[in-house]
Amino acid sequence: MNTAPMDGWEGAEAYFTFADKPAVIGLLIVAGLAVCAFTIYRMAWHETHAAKRHG
Amino acid sequence: MNETTPDIEAKIAALEAALANVNTMNSEIFYWWCTALMLAIHAGFLAYEMGASRSKNALASGIKNLLAFAFIVPTFYFFGWWIYLAFPAGLTISEASSAGLPWSANMGPNLTDQASGIFYAAFTLFAATTASIMSGSVIERIRMSGFTILAVFLGSVVWILGASWGWHPSGWLTTTWGLHDVGAAGCVHTIAGFFTLGVLINLGPRMGRYNADGSLNEIPGHNMPMSLIGLMLIVMGFFGFLGGCIIYTADGWLTIYNTPVTLSAFAFNTLMGVAGGMIGAYLMTRDPFWMMSGALVGVISSAPALDVYYPGLAFLISFVGGIIAPKVNDYLVIKLKIDDAVGAVAVHGVTGVYGLIMAGVFASGYYNIEGPQISLIGQILSAAVFVVLGFVPGFGLSYLLKMFGLLRVGSGVELAGLDKVEIPAKAYPEAAVPAFELSPVSPAE
Repeated sequence: MNTAPMDGWEGAEAYFTFADKPAVIGLLIVAGLAVCAFTIYRMAWHETHAAKRHG
Repeated sequence: MNETTPDIEAKIAALEAALANVNTMNSEIFYWWCTALMLAIHAGFLAYEMGASRSKNALASGIKNLLAFAFIVPTFYFFGWWIYLAFPAGLTISEASSAGLPWSANMGPNLTDQASGIFYAAFTLFAATTASIMSGSVIERIRMSGFTILAVFLGSVVWILGASWGWHPSGWLTTTWGLHDVGAAGCVHTIAGFFTLGVLINLGPRMGRYNADGSLNEIPGHNMPMSLIGLMLIVMGFFGFLGGCIIYTADGWLTIYNTPVTLSAFAFNTLMGVAGGMIGAYLMTRDPFWMMSGALVGVISSAPALDVYYPGLAFLISFVGGIIAPKVNDYLVIKLKIDDAVGAVAVHGVTGVYGLIMAGVFASGYYNIEGPQISLIGQILSAAVFVVLGFVPGFGLSYLLKMFGLLRVGSGVELAGLDKVEIPAKAYPEAAVPAFELSPVSPAE
């Protein structure tokens, strides 16, 4: 998989992986936000179940 | 052989390009180390809060602090930095904000942009600091999930909106009212302190804090030495924070408002502010915890006009701040029954307002680049905006979380200790084991 947005370093500007693929960048952003939201959800789930187990 | 004019011109051009490169790299290096130093603020809050907790809640307090940092880094990347660039005019979106969108070419490695990354980094650490201000006050009874949501909201939305308004060269609080707050006492400390107040009202006090007749029980933390070291680390980290408040340019240092400043000015007044606050708080309380909180009070008291104060004046302003803050805390905790476990509302919120007003008294008349001169009325109005911007979202979101049962742990959990119920690790695994059982020698030998 070639993730580089350019063919060489001459004249390179934004050179991060997938810089030339906005759809992939969009997917990565959504995934990142989803990771944060899911982790907070699991945190809340764990707290609730830990409290119930404790009695 | 004599050099020709084109040769000399080429050499001059090469030297200018090299100088520009050196300036760019110096700027990156400066903010890199400011960012690293600001991690000391987080380490400091970590130690301070764990020490201020009872041992049964120590790790929960620590994890909460770490979660704030961990979640603010990505959320500030995804939307916090954009908010700063978007709203200096108030609630209309600036065209310049597109550079802060997470899909922008500026928001990743870019050979033509050596500024966005380090500014994002420095601002992210400011954001983490802002959320840390809240985290100590709510220890020992807040749910981690609820706290994380509040921390993200405070650190990646609310304070940075305030910064866009009042800690930005074109922020409307400066262009309209002449706000001057170089050390971010308003957008960081005032907002965080009053956001925390809003949360504390809905969260309620720790069990056993107040008796039925309204009298107060002390709930001492399990490790005051850890808290003292933590507070000193925060002071050290402030040098990164305040360094990050200055703009490095090829033509010299500027404040965030583009007015001239020197690092020396900040060095004078930061140290004098720390010392003044420590002395004032010690005089008022003799308590080492408050003495070191006084160090923070001292910096925040002088922060708005660190660039222009005579150091002797900064010392006295901060000394008075150190006197006032513990009294304000007593009023909140004893009279209003707001259980602020570490005094953050007084140390950050109220002191931030005090610092802004002091700048209106003692720095009135100084010129801003954009907007009217510094004035007392401008500082007061701006302080009021920060208070409301902090309190209303803090109260509102915590109220919603409370309605959904996401704000506070149950009473059984609070009594048993959050560590025992929620954390798969022990802070002090040998605490219940008598010392002589751990050694081969019996106590009589």
